[in-house]
Amino acid sequence: MGVVEEAHNVKLVGSGDQTIVLAHGFGTDQSVWKHLVPHLVDDYRVILFDNMGAGTTNPDYFDFERYSTLEGYAYDVIAILEELRVKSCIFVGHSVSAMIGAIASITRPDLFTKLVTVSASPRYLNDANYYGGFEKEDIQQLFEAMQSNYKAWCDGFAPLVVGGDMESVAVQEFSRTLFNMRPDIALSVAQTIFQSDMRHLLCHVTIPCHIIQSMKDLAVPVVISEYLHQNFGGKSIVEVMQTDGHLPQLSSPDVVIPILLKHIRCSIAT
Amino acid sequence: MMLSTATQLSTPPTATPSTVVPLANRNIYLNPRLQQGGTGQMGNQRSEEVKKVLDILVRTKKRNPVLVGDSEPEAVVKELFRKIESKELGAEGPLKNVQVISIEKEFLYDKNQILSKIKELDRVIESRIVSGGVILDLGDLKWLVEQPMSFGGAQQQQVVSDIGRAAVVEMGKLLARFTGDGTNDNNLWLIGTATCETYLRCQVYHSTMENDWDLQAVPITSRSPLLGIFPRVGTERILSNPGENLNPLKSVPTLHPALTRRVSENLDPAQRTSFCPQCSDNYEKELSKLVAIEKSFSEAKQEDNRPSLPLWLKNAKLQSSDAKTIDQSEGKYQEVLSKQKTQELQKKWRETCLHLHPNYHHKIHSDRTAPPALSMPSLCNPNLFVRPPFQPRLQTTKPLGEVLQLNTNPVTSQPQGCTSSIPGSPVRTDLVLGPKGTENTPEKATEDGVKDLLGCISSEPQTKVLDKFADALDADTYKKLLKGLKEKAWWQAEAATAVASAITRCRLGNGRCRGAGSRGDTWLLFTGPDRVGKKKMSSVLAEQICGTIPVIICLGSQRGGEESDMNFRGKTAIDRIAEAVRHNPFSVIMLEDIDEADMILRGSVKRAIERGRLTDSHGREISLGNAIFILTGDWSTTNPEATRDGHVVDGKKLASIASRDWQLGLIVREKSAKRRVNWLQNEDRPIKPRRELGSGLSLDLNLAVDTEDDRTDGSHNSSDLTIDHEDELGLVGRQFTITSVPHELASIVDDSIVFKPVDSSFVRREIKNTISVKFSMVVGDNLPIEIEDDVLEKILGGLWHDQTSLEQWIENVLAPSFNQLKPRLPSIESRGLVVRLVVESDSGERRNGDWLPSRITVEG
Repeated sequence: MGVVEEAHNVKLVGSGDQTIVLAHGFGTDQSVWKHLVPHLVDDYRVILFDNMGAGTTNPDYFDFERYSTLEGYAYDVIAILEELRVKSCIFVGHSVSAMIGAIASITRPDLFTKLVTVSASPRYLNDANYYGGFEKEDIQQLFEAMQSNYKAWCDGFAPLVVGGDMESVAVQEFSRTLFNMRPDIALSVAQTIFQSDMRHLLCHVTIPCHIIQSMKDLAVPVVISEYLHQNFGGKSIVEVMQTDGHLPQLSSPDVVIPILLKHIRCSIAT
Repeated sequence: MMLSTATQLSTPPTATPSTVVPLANRNIYLNPRLQQGGTGQMGNQRSEEVKKVLDILVRTKKRNPVLVGDSEPEAVVKELFRKIESKELGAEGPLKNVQVISIEKEFLYDKNQILSKIKELDRVIESRIVSGGVILDLGDLKWLVEQPMSFGGAQQQQVVSDIGRAAVVEMGKLLARFTGDGTNDNNLWLIGTATCETYLRCQVYHSTMENDWDLQAVPITSRSPLLGIFPRVGTERILSNPGENLNPLKSVPTLHPALTRRVSENLDPAQRTSFCPQCSDNYEKELSKLVAIEKSFSEAKQEDNRPSLPLWLKNAKLQSSDAKTIDQSEGKYQEVLSKQKTQELQKKWRETCLHLHPNYHHKIHSDRTAPPALSMPSLCNPNLFVRPPFQPRLQTTKPLGEVLQLNTNPVTSQPQGCTSSIPGSPVRTDLVLGPKGTENTPEKATEDGVKDLLGCISSEPQTKVLDKFADALDADTYKKLLKGLKEKAWWQAEAATAVASAITRCRLGNGRCRGAGSRGDTWLLFTGPDRVGKKKMSSVLAEQICGTIPVIICLGSQRGGEESDMNFRGKTAIDRIAEAVRHNPFSVIMLEDIDEADMILRGSVKRAIERGRLTDSHGREISLGNAIFILTGDWSTTNPEATRDGHVVDGKKLASIASRDWQLGLIVREKSAKRRVNWLQNEDRPIKPRRELGSGLSLDLNLAVDTEDDRTDGSHNSSDLTIDHEDELGLVGRQFTITSVPHELASIVDDSIVFKPVDSSFVRREIKNTISVKFSMVVGDNLPIEIEDDVLEKILGGLWHDQTSLEQWIENVLAPSFNQLKPRLPSIESRGLVVRLVVESDSGERRNGDWLPSRITVEG
């Protein structure tokens, strides 16, 4: 058991010729894929891991400098793949991990055959000729709220992001994993994510990308999926689902799982 | 591979410190922190602590270590003993042949024999110590300061600490006996662990212990990497190691908060499934769908991987066909999860049913009390479904209190007892939250009774009676409300009409239908820049509908700190809203500046609007009851020139004017002919006498008849109201647009009402007219009154901030002084004279609480 595997709680399940990496987004851990994994294990070798900074990882390993950009996370992904001697994989990334996967695929295109992005956004802040969904002030307030009372912030943020009642299992689940994060780490990760701008890198992504997006998503406006489609360097395809929330794979698995499976199994026609 | 992964996760890293090193150097992408040794580093930390302990052991003084720390000091002790046992400490030194004697658990439990046990220990040590020394492991020292839970009581505690004290003394003697010879060989050491709390207690209860036992505290840092102990580890990690369920008790509440909450709701089992047939059909359908989904997951078979799958993966397949492979705790967990889902579904339908078919629930209840039950299908009277129940909204219309009481008295007396026992009625719960004080007065109590009943009653006859009311109510409340609104905020006539009709509509149950069934809470959105108008209208609403003052909560950045209530310090706005609702579910709550609120707050408010329930920052949910919420925001763009030129009333400027202390006076002067002519001719139309002034601008139909003859005076308008509008729109409409009310907000509130910026010339003219008309009524038509613009400005400023309306002020302050003035006027020929309303004194700071002068000096 390598130190990388242990630090990232790497889990290998299923068997098959192809390897699928499932990468979770902010405020969650690998359990966000719980509805999807059972459908993959028969045909694929599935790699699950936790991003550094997730509540399930050791906070001592969280290097605030390394993880002040998304590259740090991308190197982690490659480190895991190297460690497990994976030669090629399909990378399924949710939210920020989609961009992490994109960066990793730019660094090591040989390792990735396909990128499936769920609720991905290259930039969350609005800009000239770009609509990311957030104003600078919004983000600032968000950070302030996180700093002042993390618990309250979690309870408010979770239903907003998931898009449901506080009572729903999905929201409970998300607020649990969110609150698991150490508050200072959560703030740092959120700052990294919300201040990231990957737009200039998109054109360097050469592997095929499948862009999957919720119809209604607080964090990512639906137009973003089109932006990604236009700007990815390689082939890409967009599917907008009739779902609500930033974590559709958790909140409406019955809609999302078939779509995800379709995009994992099939490739873009040439 | 996977198998070993799962099992190794739980083993302490210290056991496998060397296996990781060879791989680590190869990977260039590796996190440097991991490269530095990762688990090895943790091991180093541990071994450093062990070294510290060893250093203490070889000292001659203070050489008995107590490891103090909240995280696992035992692990260090264990590591130490392991080293001693495996002779890693080398052949030299005093510890080379040392033996470890651990105090057995029974020793600690049987308090009464503790002393004799120590004596026994004495003999054991004596027999062993010759071979090279003994370390006596005392374990966790809490046995010295705590007693088993079963004893309890202060008396017992005294006894136990006596025993503890005796044990300390005995142990001290023991130590002295075996170390007395001074040689470093054949020594006795003590070693123990304690949490910080325990150690502090030891120091308090056994003050001599530290010296007698020759103790040295060793702080153990809390950087334990042990996953099982690490407090932030997700619960599934603990559960993911079968048979390693370290802390089942801890994991259950975090996993199923919803479940526990549900349990605490205290629903009797009969209630749980009480839907009417229609709803239970729907429920069954959804349940079977849920089961099907779960089935489909379980059919994704993965027996091969079963042992390696973490539990959360298995959760996805809830009703696994081969449950025997899953151990019991997992099975239970699954069951709980599945149950949770089912309950969620049940609850959803129960609520839906309660909303849609309150009839059914009422009948169910009366079935229970009155045996002659009707057959089930007939209970769900289909035509009742069509009409949303309006009752929960009716009761708060305060002005009708007496009427309501009269007519519902028979109702209240009859099922009073039954209301208290109707289970699951949301209205009832709300009332429990309401303030106790109000229930004391008999009138209120009855009213509450009415409210209670209205919430759950829906049997035909009563509904009909109430239905009739509703119609009568409609016109009446509307008129009264509109009158009130227009009186206080007369410059917003259009908005007043809109507010009144919106409120009336919502109160009668025709509001926007949000979520399932109808709800009691009302949400209005006031847009536009006129903060004063919004506030005044809110107070009118609160006063007329709830009989209280409105609760004003500022969601945006605080303005001027006017509403900085001490009680609200340190509370989030959401908590304040929740508190306001909890305090009085029948109130008007004004949420100011929603446009400036942060995203999370906006989201919470939005969800509250959608669901009728509010979740405060502690996760507690409360129903919004029958509160009227008024959201205010600006969202407007006003032409800056309009503000600068004074076309539009500027709140800040007014505040500065009105905040000074000023007095008005009436003086009689020779009039300058020029001025008079000017005044009469140029402003002829606006000051046309308005006889209906006593009743303000109220839109009573009777007034229309009165104004008929006004047309003859050459006005091109049929009524005053249209004049106002023409003027208002003419000037202001050009310069003002509501631009960006977010659709997400506008679409979910019951109604949104635009408050235009206030046209200052219109307002001034209006004040002037009203005063002149009053003057002519009191003094007579043949004497004109002149009011300068600066005076008008001041009056306007006062009105802006004061609670009184213009009419009230004129009636209470101006009219008496006019009366005072009247006898002093030359009675016969007053031609050539003019009365002027002027500023008497303008002396800096405002002294008293009133914004408007309360009396006017009259100079004959």
